[in-house]
Amino acid sequence: MTSADAQAILERAVASLDGREFEAVLGGGISELTRFANNEITQNVSERRTVLSIRVARGLRTGRATGNDLSPDGIARLRAQADAAAALSPEIPDLLPVPERQAYRAVSGADSDTSALGPEARAREVSRAVTRCRAAGVEAAGIYETGCGTIGDYGTLGPLAIANSKGLYAYHQGTDASFRISALDGTASGWAGAESHRASDIDGEVLADRAIQKCIGSRSPAVWKPGNYTVVLEPAAVADLLQDMAWISFGALAVQEGRSFLTGRLGSRVLGENITIRDDAYHPLHQGCPFDAEGVPTRPVTIVEAGIAKGPVYDRQTAAKDGLESTGHGLQVPNPIGPLTSNLVLEGGKGSVDDLVKGVERGLLVTRVWYTNVVDPMTVTLTGMTRDGLFAIQDGKLAGAVRNFRFNQSIVRMLTEVEAMSAVQRIEGVVCPGLRVRSFQMSSATEF
Amino acid sequence: MSDLARIALDTAVRRGAGYCDARLVDQKREDLTVKDGHVASLEQTESRGLGVRVLVDGAWGYAATDELTDDGVAACAARAVEIGRASASVLAKPVRLAPEPPQTVVWASPCAIDPFEVPLTRKLDLLFAVDAGLRGVRGVTIAESNLTFVRKRQRFVSSEGSDIDQTITRSGGGYAATAVSGNDVQRRSFPQAEGFHQTRGWEFIETVPWVAEAPRIGEEAVALLRADQCPAGEFDVILEGSQLALQIHESVGHPTELDRVLGMEANYAGTSFLTLDKKGSLRFGSPKVNLVADATLPNGLATFAFDDEGVAAQRWHIVRKGMFEGYLTSRELAHRVDDDRSRGCVRSDGWHHIPMIRMVNLSLMPDAGSLEDVFGDTAHGIYMETNRSWSIDQLRYNFQFKTEIAWEIKRGKRVRMLKNPTYQGITPIFWNSCDFVCGEAEWRPWSIVNCGKGQPGQVAEMTHGAAPARFRGVMVGAGYDD
Repeated sequence: MTSADAQAILERAVASLDGREFEAVLGGGISELTRFANNEITQNVSERRTVLSIRVARGLRTGRATGNDLSPDGIARLRAQADAAAALSPEIPDLLPVPERQAYRAVSGADSDTSALGPEARAREVSRAVTRCRAAGVEAAGIYETGCGTIGDYGTLGPLAIANSKGLYAYHQGTDASFRISALDGTASGWAGAESHRASDIDGEVLADRAIQKCIGSRSPAVWKPGNYTVVLEPAAVADLLQDMAWISFGALAVQEGRSFLTGRLGSRVLGENITIRDDAYHPLHQGCPFDAEGVPTRPVTIVEAGIAKGPVYDRQTAAKDGLESTGHGLQVPNPIGPLTSNLVLEGGKGSVDDLVKGVERGLLVTRVWYTNVVDPMTVTLTGMTRDGLFAIQDGKLAGAVRNFRFNQSIVRMLTEVEAMSAVQRIEGVVCPGLRVRSFQMSSATEF
Repeated sequence: MSDLARIALDTAVRRGAGYCDARLVDQKREDLTVKDGHVASLEQTESRGLGVRVLVDGAWGYAATDELTDDGVAACAARAVEIGRASASVLAKPVRLAPEPPQTVVWASPCAIDPFEVPLTRKLDLLFAVDAGLRGVRGVTIAESNLTFVRKRQRFVSSEGSDIDQTITRSGGGYAATAVSGNDVQRRSFPQAEGFHQTRGWEFIETVPWVAEAPRIGEEAVALLRADQCPAGEFDVILEGSQLALQIHESVGHPTELDRVLGMEANYAGTSFLTLDKKGSLRFGSPKVNLVADATLPNGLATFAFDDEGVAAQRWHIVRKGMFEGYLTSRELAHRVDDDRSRGCVRSDGWHHIPMIRMVNLSLMPDAGSLEDVFGDTAHGIYMETNRSWSIDQLRYNFQFKTEIAWEIKRGKRVRMLKNPTYQGITPIFWNSCDFVCGEAEWRPWSIVNCGKGQPGQVAEMTHGAAPARFRGVMVGAGYDD
């Protein structure tokens, strides 16, 4: 959807709301995904969706209605629902007026070739990857997904365009391409993935080769005892752990409510001196949306710098409470969650994951982790499983597969024990390096 | 008015689809949240659209649109065929659907009081009364309560002649109190974590003692701050029903999804230890363990007349007296386990997503005895209540759960409250250690409303009935044992 198309819909949406305070948000776009398993395409889908959300405010009362019927009748019904809800809702004491008109930094996260990519092109890329797996005698399973707009996983929608009663107008339409592949041989498996806003950055064959190598290397795993080991975490594993940490710790509401490890520790050393964590929509590998769900410009935020806690990300409500300005990380208003990070960056070093392995006398290489969940929020202790390639490291070299472990590990502690980092890449929506960690708690083994 | 679903069918067949079904879905939802004395969300959402699923040369294509015009749905159907044709270029074996007779049916789940007609003020009054009950307890730091109402009307038509109109209404909610002190964050939820829901109308809300239980929940959250840490080691563990429901979901439901077993979810959710050779031969659990899949369960969240492939709802044993008997199947995969008919487990979370195998209601059948009876029969154990976190490996062997609260049981009595209880196990070993399942009086139909699966990810809901049960020699304390 072009900016002009979006603006036309938003103008229709608010046409008869003169004199009322309002915001109208469009989300949606096109999302297409080719899924394969057992060396064939098993599912192939295309979704086109545009959703309009109207919020009306009457003083400190507010109501919201959301729908995808963009006909004149449909829009009128949404307006009426939002207005009626606003009239009935009790006052929200810290409800703020909608923001004034804003200026936004340009980002270049859209690629016309990616938005035009069709099912045949995706099938060709999948075919290249499947052919490699078949030749190697393993089964391929994975996805090739391309999209344009703001349709997220599990049907979530981000803001594509926003207008409000103070003349604010924001628009951003990015593109995304991601390819993920597992190579399987019985219970042995390997995994590789890549993502970019440009489909031309994706090479299914290269990813297939990486997954095949890990799968073949994972046959006949040795059984190691649970315990604390030096580990090399590949970027995909680091990204997963950081996402969970950010979700429970890096938003201002979590800090204000006392349920973040940052609470009461701003300005203090909380992580290792070599750890700097930022949220940066403008990082070349992210090229994310330059505004939040209220249309407030998203600023780069340094959350932890050289191990020192600098501050969380804010929305307008939490910023007002702390006497600060929003960093542009708000969700739709009102919400019980508070602001969240959207473009995480963990600063890295130089070199490759292989370089990290060279520095380990005895330890484990973790390809990725799976089904992480929070055990203890204040220490950010997470549990989860290793997956798709857990390898022994002996004297700086890979020394065969190891049966997968469940871990229970404080990520705060982990980030005080990082010995070395690789260069960064973007994976699982996070820009981060691989890490070599002195001690990581593997607490129980599984059966494969 | 045009028959949009028929236009989609006709277009797809004309363009070369060997099979086609179309779902026209109209979904309505209302979400209300009160947090710490204020409205934290108040939103009404409507979504209407059409999804077209086709087989072209034996390969799947799916396209969805919310452009509900003659041209819009015709273009959507044409796109589905184009996608199916692309799929056929990387195909090992053409898809073969298990036969199913065509149906013409209109069906609706029970709904005595339409929740969308209940005034907003009445709903908010209930939430504010709960909120006051929670925050009336000194030491409660965060109080959050919510109600959700969903209505989904779906018309399913297929090129085989089915025309099925179903309306399902769901109502429910829940609340939690959080208490924070220093580095300790404790939470209690009611009636269960993540909310308690049924396919009924507002009348279901009126059956639950929301306000009456709020002070107890607040008091328990605060008491947990002073409670002893749950000890680590091997213990007999008694699980309360809602925690057992999640245990069933993760360690029984997902590994019996036949698409997982056959590798179709390998890249994301994983596969399953319940490989085809295990059917009929694996002792999954002790003889006390009877697990029944049931899409006909009254008021269940996965209760329907027909699934999203037009297959009638069914009830069957997954595990009978401990022996593993069967899978959750689809028309595409039924023949892989030598079934001549699908078990009717295919659902989608909306018009925009393709239907796939989803868990139906899956319950642990009650045996005999009360919670007090199982306590009385336990010399030394730990009783755990209400889920707080969960994790399981990609073959569904190694799991770890944390609950909100526990009590130590000694010589048949609760002797002390414990915080941060976790337990860990290996699925078949764990279910084989089950030696006591409470009776029907303790059995409740617990809810799951956040089950994620698939790429792109979909969210489904289902009910897991369970009464408390005891498991011998379980590892307790992971995450707090260093």
